[in-house]
Amino acid sequence: MIKFLRSFLLLDLLEGLWVTFRHQSPSQIETEQYPSERPAVSERYRGAPRLNVHPETQETLCISCNLCAVACPENLIVVGSVRNPETKRKDLVTFTYDLSRCMFCGLCEDACPVDALELTQDFEIASYTREGLIWDRQALEEGPRPTQYRQ
Amino acid sequence: MATVPWEGPIPDLLRARLGASVLETSLYLDQPFAVLALPAMVPALELLRSEAGFDYLVDITAVDYPKRTPRFELVYVLYSYGRNERIRLKAGVALGEKAPSAVPVHLGANWLEREVYDMFGIEFAGHPDPRRILMPEEWAGFPLRKDYGIVEMDNRWVQANLGIESGQ
Amino acid sequence: MTALDSNEMVLNMGPQHPSTHGVLRIVLKLDGERVTSTDCIIGYLHRGVEKIAENRTYVQFAPYVDRMDYLAAVSNGLGYCLAVEKLMNAVATPRAQAVRVILTELNRIASHLLWLGTHALDIGAITPLFYTLREREAVLKIFENYCGARLTTHAFRIGGLQYELYDGFEKEVESFCGQFLAKVDEYEELLSGNRIWRERLRGVGVIDAETCKRYGVTGPVLRAAGVAWDLRKAQPYSGYEQYEFDVPTRTSGDTLDRYFVRLDEMRQSVRIIQQAVANIPTGPIMAKIAKVVKPPVGEAYVSIEAPKGELGYYIVSDGTTHPYRLRVRPPSFVNLQALGHMAQGALVADVVAIIGTIDIVLGEVDR
Ligand code: SF4
Ligand code: SF4
Repeated sequence: MIKFLRSFLLLDLLEGLWVTFRHQSPSQIETEQYPSERPAVSERYRGAPRLNVHPETQETLCISCNLCAVACPENLIVVGSVRNPETKRKDLVTFTYDLSRCMFCGLCEDACPVDALELTQDFEIASYTREGLIWDRQALEEGPRPTQYRQ
Repeated sequence: MATVPWEGPIPDLLRARLGASVLETSLYLDQPFAVLALPAMVPALELLRSEAGFDYLVDITAVDYPKRTPRFELVYVLYSYGRNERIRLKAGVALGEKAPSAVPVHLGANWLEREVYDMFGIEFAGHPDPRRILMPEEWAGFPLRKDYGIVEMDNRWVQANLGIESGQ
Repeated sequence: MTALDSNEMVLNMGPQHPSTHGVLRIVLKLDGERVTSTDCIIGYLHRGVEKIAENRTYVQFAPYVDRMDYLAAVSNGLGYCLAVEKLMNAVATPRAQAVRVILTELNRIASHLLWLGTHALDIGAITPLFYTLREREAVLKIFENYCGARLTTHAFRIGGLQYELYDGFEKEVESFCGQFLAKVDEYEELLSGNRIWRERLRGVGVIDAETCKRYGVTGPVLRAAGVAWDLRKAQPYSGYEQYEFDVPTRTSGDTLDRYFVRLDEMRQSVRIIQQAVANIPTGPIMAKIAKVVKPPVGEAYVSIEAPKGELGYYIVSDGTTHPYRLRVRPPSFVNLQALGHMAQGALVADVVAIIGTIDIVLGEVDR
């Protein structure tokens, strides 16, 4: 009898719907509204590379030691430098980083003795062309310029 | 390789039953291994399985030493559930020589031997299904041989099947 | 392939089939609805990992192992690091070992969760996938906070760890463990109590212990057939001998039992993590090893219990910075071989369940 009443009054269905509605509360919502709401990635996130510059002088921190290029398993970093006859040091001229082959393992970042090369929290590195993924020194220093879909 | 001799019931068993086919029994980093003559390999697997409890064939692989004769070394990793021990058996195989198949002793050898054939070109006599396994069937060349370059590929196959000039 | 009988029909499953969990192609020969023979065609995802290894230094190769079993990248990394450390006769520091255990067990949970969700989805239960992915997200967030990547983590280095623990790691792990056991019970409630689920999986894809051993099958598939064998117990590594845990087994070796074994394994993993995180030793995270990794001439085979079974690395060193030969013994590859046995005489619809229950990752099968 009770069984009959339960099924007659659709109690099971209501129970199920109650679970559904309980999960409508904002604290239960797991979906992220990307791109209008950007996910917070962790501090150590290994994303787009950046070549750090000195905050005041805007000079590059890179000492052209080539260690990052040697450490990289994919051989995708090319450091171009000339020797400065006055200071007897190498000056950085070009720096190319082929993101299309990078696997964000972080070995280059670990190898850098002066923390010039860093993998940052930027994750929007998609590009319409393959060439667009080969970053030069300017892109590495200024950061990526992702397409804005919504202002 | 600084090895120490491997003593115990298993090397004794191997020596007693296979005699001169057992070329070396050593330990390296506490891991025992025995080097056998190639024809004694399958009898040794059978012997170890039935009399010493090595009922689990973990892996079969090969190593290519282009400067040595015989050129390849087959490596069998065995484990015994009862003894909780792991041993390795090794045997040299010359280029073009056929190794006896271990499938009658351990069913699991089937795919492992196919992979060794695929990567090194070592054929197994009596294998029930001697095809390549990871590479396409018509592929020419054996990728894990030392004389096969890392960017090398079978261009004829790539052009015929993928419609591109080269995979690089 | 032999000629077809007039009653037989050939069915091509895959390589683009959602239930093959990747690019696996299976040529099924059918007699009506019954499978008479299977032929797995693999290699679509072959990237030549072993060849790449010979052309990289030991340190450089470490990120590549994450790409084999990409659902258990941390386990792959652990096996690789242990193998190279063995060759160099080094051991990681106690602190590094404890952190390795925690992360590897978390990874086991994540891998089993994804397996559970997709397996249930294959069978037709859609809901568990959302639940399991939600919990997996918490694990991935811990990985991201710890090492900066969620999937291909590259969390460990040869000799120890690269990253020190972040603030709040212990708390995050503990709170995950605290609420996770209730979640496992919730999955049990959703699936184990469901009569359709039980009837659908009971007696499907049976493999007994003897056959498992003959095929070299390891991991949950072997344990569901009644063999209480787990490398963490049999040959402990990375300090597993300090922790108390059970090896869950079942007896009938069918799909349902493999499901139970994996659920229990997640519970055991939580137990291990809770013990490990309660007292992480202090001290350095990196053992004192040479800066340039250059093991002496020699060879070693080291294996660990990955979520899918025994994952082994056989490395031959010629005394240089590059491995002379590196062989990966992938659990999925060997376990997949038993598919032919398990699917013999099964219905086509059950093949989907059987593939799911072996828990293969094609990145590892094909390497
Ligand atoms: S993250 Fe890894 S792959 Fe990418 S550039 Fe650095 S070292 Fe190379
Ligand atoms: S390792 Fe650092 S300092 Fe050296 S070349 Fe690379 S970015 Fe410059």
